[in-house]
Amino acid sequence: MAGQAVLSVLREDGVVQGQEPEIAPDTLLHAYRTMVLTRHLDERAMRLQRAGRIGFTVPNKGVEAVQIGSAAALRASDWIFPSYRDFGMALYHGVPVEQMLHGMFCNGLDNSRGRQMPVHYSFADPIRFVSISSPIGTHIPQAVGAARAAQQRGEDTAFLTSFGDGGTSSLGFHSGLVFAGVWKSPVIFLCQNNGWAISCPADKQTGSDGFAVKGEGYGVPGVQVDGNDFLAMYSAVRTAVARARSGGGPTLIEAITMRMGGHSSSDDPTKYVPAAMLESWAKKDPIVRFEKYLRRRGLLDDAQAQAALSAAEAQVAAAVEAAEKAPLPATETIFSDVYAEVPPSLRKQGRDYFDLMSRHGEAAAGDGAFPL
Amino acid sequence: MVFEFKLPDIGEGIAEGEIVKWLVKPGDAVREDQAVVEVMTDKATVEIPAPRAGRILELKAAEGATVPIGTVIFTLEEGAGAAAAPAAPAAPAAPKAETAKPAAPAAKAPAAPAAPARDAVITPSAPAATIKAAPVSASGKVLAVPSARAAARELGVDLQQVPGSGRHGLVRKQDVQAFAERGPSAPAAAPAASAPRSFAPVQIERTTSETRVAFRGVRKKIAEAMTRSKYTATHFTVVEEVDVTQLLALREKAKALGAEQGIKVTLTPFFMRAAASALQLYPQLNSMLDEAAQEIVTYGHVHLGIATDTPQGLIVPVVRDVPAKGLLQLSAELQDLAERTRGGKIKPEELKGSTFTITNAGAIGGILATPIINFPEVAIMGVHRVMERPAIVDGELVERKFMNFSLSVDHRLVDGADACRFLVHVKRLLEEPGLLAL
Repeated sequence: MAGQAVLSVLREDGVVQGQEPEIAPDTLLHAYRTMVLTRHLDERAMRLQRAGRIGFTVPNKGVEAVQIGSAAALRASDWIFPSYRDFGMALYHGVPVEQMLHGMFCNGLDNSRGRQMPVHYSFADPIRFVSISSPIGTHIPQAVGAARAAQQRGEDTAFLTSFGDGGTSSLGFHSGLVFAGVWKSPVIFLCQNNGWAISCPADKQTGSDGFAVKGEGYGVPGVQVDGNDFLAMYSAVRTAVARARSGGGPTLIEAITMRMGGHSSSDDPTKYVPAAMLESWAKKDPIVRFEKYLRRRGLLDDAQAQAALSAAEAQVAAAVEAAEKAPLPATETIFSDVYAEVPPSLRKQGRDYFDLMSRHGEAAAGDGAFPL
Repeated sequence: MVFEFKLPDIGEGIAEGEIVKWLVKPGDAVREDQAVVEVMTDKATVEIPAPRAGRILELKAAEGATVPIGTVIFTLEEGAGAAAAPAAPAAPAAPKAETAKPAAPAAKAPAAPAAPARDAVITPSAPAATIKAAPVSASGKVLAVPSARAAARELGVDLQQVPGSGRHGLVRKQDVQAFAERGPSAPAAAPAASAPRSFAPVQIERTTSETRVAFRGVRKKIAEAMTRSKYTATHFTVVEEVDVTQLLALREKAKALGAEQGIKVTLTPFFMRAAASALQLYPQLNSMLDEAAQEIVTYGHVHLGIATDTPQGLIVPVVRDVPAKGLLQLSAELQDLAERTRGGKIKPEELKGSTFTITNAGAIGGILATPIINFPEVAIMGVHRVMERPAIVDGELVERKFMNFSLSVDHRLVDGADACRFLVHVKRLLEEPGLLAL
């Protein structure tokens, strides 16, 4: 972006080079532990998927600082309209790991009752984490709409919506920024430029100089941030949040980072990501960098670092065990949670279905031939 | 315990995978999540980890082999001499405290996830029963087609008051119009007679000596029709004994006459003529109740349904305008209908429009029955087996042939006395079959 440097606070060796935000030590440690937990959960989920224990997962490695840094700048009363990989944001705000594992296993304790794709979480509590949707960019105008509602109610709630570099090519991005710019809505548009839209590199995604500059055309200030720098991410989002709450309007933040894994468990990034690119980004690992900073400040030692990892492992292992054992969703839940009151047409369908089920038992391959 | 590892679908809908390289050999101890084999799919080459700890027993696919998803590719003895899973750390630090957000230290304990069943809007414990018990208009909104709603708005009719004639009491446009014509003072309709029952569905325990077929198709349609009839019409059955000696003699002559024209003459056309005559005399049996309009409909025409036993079950083809047709014509039509019904070639419209039904199981057996009315008709006549019996005629003990006739009527519309009168008239005609010509 012409004339504006990428916001950065920490060097790769953990030395502060920019303006260090004021953050309580407890908050820093909580953020660190959440980053460790996020990465471990991500690695474990991939192994579960490879062993056929869960159906699908979304690699997260490398983007932890973007997620946790942003989440740390939000209040529990704020809203997150997340992208695909943002479960770290929910973990930061205290969503239990078990709840995510229930979702991965699509079991009866999953709050979507096994009807969502694995990892497409939604949580109402402790932070409003709106359902992750696979379609690209559709949640961006939703965030703007929700923010508009808060504006009209006179609330000072902030709305963070997150999407990838590919998401900026969606209609939702355009619509969202148009309206937020005009309404001066309290929205933080977080573009996670992780280098790739599945296999499409960022330099083929846009002809503009980065993604932050796109905000200008909508009257939305844009800023580029080192996405592997927790402190820079926190600073940028905190500034944007303060602006949003005070009526200053939206901000577009481009977090420059790198997706170190595949797009999803169905993807093979070795076919398109140059090995050299991975190597150079590995040196910028956000957790390693943040850990160095914490150690420099005397907030973290070997024992504490090990404890954080052990705690993450224990937590995830216990959650996996519980989720794998949990029963499948009751068939009847097909008809719940969609309408406040089941409409007669669905009620009839349900009645017919359960009637059929009670007579035929579980369906087998080839069942369902017409007429029933 | 031996665990069989089936090659999972690791890429959203792949069909097969190639075993690239085994990373373990039989006898190796593996930890949970330890990589066991490299597999190449059309999407990626990946390392597949063991889902549980144990000792590898057998590798069931060779390197280079392509195997379909779901194939068992290795087996392991669970737990046997296996290293402890690495994920279980020595010191399980209190996880809740670790993730508690400093700003709000009391990270909310995960609200004990309610049993999914409880949240379900439709409770699963007794699914069918629960749903059935619930009012059809769950939303409190009357079930009505859009044109009925429009008509109700136009006519200023309160839909809540309108009895629906559609399935499950669905209000149709004509219901609204009929209601409006009767005026708001008209008494509300009787509750839908076919109100669903609220019993839990019967479950029959499986045994080793039984067969089961799906309850559907014609069988199901018959069941629905019979249930509706039996639980709607207030059945009253009267039985009469008919001396058919003369009738049988006449039929022998008619048979010979028919044979000359290629027509097979059975007893049924005689019964039809007798019934048609009685229906003209007692038209309350040739009626139906229009529940929606709350009107009794009495027909000027007599269309007779003839219950027919087919390999698919009971089917009722209809012979129209019976009083206008002679015995031979009726015989010919019957023969044609019966053949096409049994052959499954009957047209749907030939199964509709009857005003009264005759059911004849006499050829098979049984001395009497209590037939179920072909609803919404209001009467059905059953014809039973011919029996030779001693009888007293003019003070003499003689051998005669008898048949029993049963008549079930819907007592809502037909009084018992009229049912008896109807049957007496039938008896009179059949005992003196010459009267059938009248």
